Amino acid sequence: MSENERYIYRTHGVCPPEIHFQVQDGLLTEVRFVGGGCPGNARLVSRLLKGLPVEGVMELLRDIECRNETSCPDQLFKALSEARNGALHPAHSFDVYEDSQPRKSIALIGELGGRLDVLQRLVEAISRENVEISFCLGNLTGHSPANKDLLEFLRKQSVLAVQGDLDWSYSQGTEPAGFPSLDQKERDDLFLRPHLLSFQLDGKKGIAFFGEYLQRMSGFSDFDPFALEINMVSSLTQFFKDETVFPALEAMVPQFQAQIILFSQPKEWGHWQAGEANFISVGPAATARGLNWGLLGGNGEKIHFEIMQLQD
Amino acid sequence: MAESVRVLPQNIQNMMDVREWDMRTREGIQRFRELRAKSLPSVALDNELVYEAIIPGQEDLSAEIRRRYEEKNRE
Repeated sequence: MSENERYIYRTHGVCPPEIHFQVQDGLLTEVRFVGGGCPGNARLVSRLLKGLPVEGVMELLRDIECRNETSCPDQLFKALSEARNGALHPAHSFDVYEDSQPRKSIALIGELGGRLDVLQRLVEAISRENVEISFCLGNLTGHSPANKDLLEFLRKQSVLAVQGDLDWSYSQGTEPAGFPSLDQKERDDLFLRPHLLSFQLDGKKGIAFFGEYLQRMSGFSDFDPFALEINMVSSLTQFFKDETVFPALEAMVPQFQAQIILFSQPKEWGHWQAGEANFISVGPAATARGLNWGLLGGNGEKIHFEIMQLQD
Repeated sequence: MAESVRVLPQNIQNMMDVREWDMRTREGIQRFRELRAKSLPSVALDNELVYEAIIPGQEDLSAEIRRRYEEKNRE
């Protein structure tokens, strides 16, 4: 069993589709039943098991049946068994979703901040263009009473969305004081969203993420896939605020896996090229000047990027 | 770059402690920024950025290291 690594177990026959857990020094340091089931009991079980020796936990989980000849404790028992015998491998520090379909055109949506009305208008506007898919780079939520409604609306759209830093805080139950609360269902929705999208545009590999909070995640490794791109954008160039280090960035680009790197933390639009890599900062969906989204495409030679504006 | 330091004559190697920073890591990037470097490869001597965007020749690098070593030992 790998130490201090996050494991994700896909369950069978019980309400929560996933169990996430971490082990360190033989102790269960974290366990979370994600995506369904009784949230109250699940959180209690997580609190009670946290810090206990794995062997002892496994003894507690035996012979408990709920339905489908299994139960959440039984599924956790199976998860821990598989982690122990190597059948279950640790998850990456940040979740990557791979959009495997090669694309020719992608709509880019920046921070929504819980503005359901903005998302609805953008989805409608984008649907009138010849766009194959939409990516939203976060934050989805904000200081808004409509966070829940936005997430509910988003679930019905063909928009691939990653967690922004506020979204991640909500998913962890650590959102800043004064922000509207969310139901556990909505928090789990955010929790299950990836942190980074991987895609193919016009034969080039691309990634889309929010920003530097990924580096603060436990288990983030500088050698994980796409960690180099994240480090270069976040740490070296400070999200392209420091252009003096561009020569160094250009020297590192040949080691990148991605040639198109999208991010949204700066909350302003920008486009830079260093060597073979294109870097695009995706601005917020709503500004004082109106609503906007990005159109990313390719013509077989170079990528094309345009900011599309809607008037209020 | 690191190799060009490793192949320096032993008497030069004995004058210094060498630390190699990996630019793929956050620690390496932080050191790069602390030195206010702009391009790669970069060589710093005694926390001072001395060579940037070039790999110094053996003679040049040896002479600079020796100069600094002798200056420090004179003090």
